[in-house]
Amino acid sequence: MTIAGKILIAAGVVFALLGMVGLFRFRTFYARILITSNIDSAGMILMMIGGMLHSPTPAFALKIGIIAVLALITGPLSTHAILRSARISGYKLKLGEHI
Amino acid sequence: MIFYRIILGMIGVFAIADIVRMFLGPTIFDRLLCFNILSAKIVMAITLYALMTEQSSMLDVAIVYSLLAFVSTVLIARFIRNKGELS
Repeated sequence: MTIAGKILIAAGVVFALLGMVGLFRFRTFYARILITSNIDSAGMILMMIGGMLHSPTPAFALKIGIIAVLALITGPLSTHAILRSARISGYKLKLGEHI
Repeated sequence: MIFYRIILGMIGVFAIADIVRMFLGPTIFDRLLCFNILSAKIVMAITLYALMTEQSSMLDVAIVYSLLAFVSTVLIARFIRNKGELS
């Protein structure tokens, strides 16, 4: 059980690493917001499930589960709010700009 | 114990790189995106610290921090979208 938890926590950190590499690698804003939504949805969910397998008491696991459900609801909503704000405010790509 | 220390160190390095990107970002939307990711990383770090020291009260801090980060991100995004009016 603890080895499975460690593997899941390490997988969450790998997702965070991919998001940070994409944040510095991509040149346009829309590509950056696409890759960095990995961190607060996929990486955070994997890390919370790994923490639930590691937790010493059941109440501890229940609290981590509440954080996981909150991250599952609020992560895509905040990414969507930023993207909608940029789109309505008139952020457009320049003509020769690409990934 | 050494596993949690390694993971917390990696998250700290990612947070420093995120702050660097927040200073470099060309538009205000990049800075807002970096703020969103930084709050997610802080929630991860608080949860790992609670697991490392087995303190159950740190998880309440993580719940409140995630809710406040969501509310502030949506508020700033709507503030920019409405061009300075909170309606």
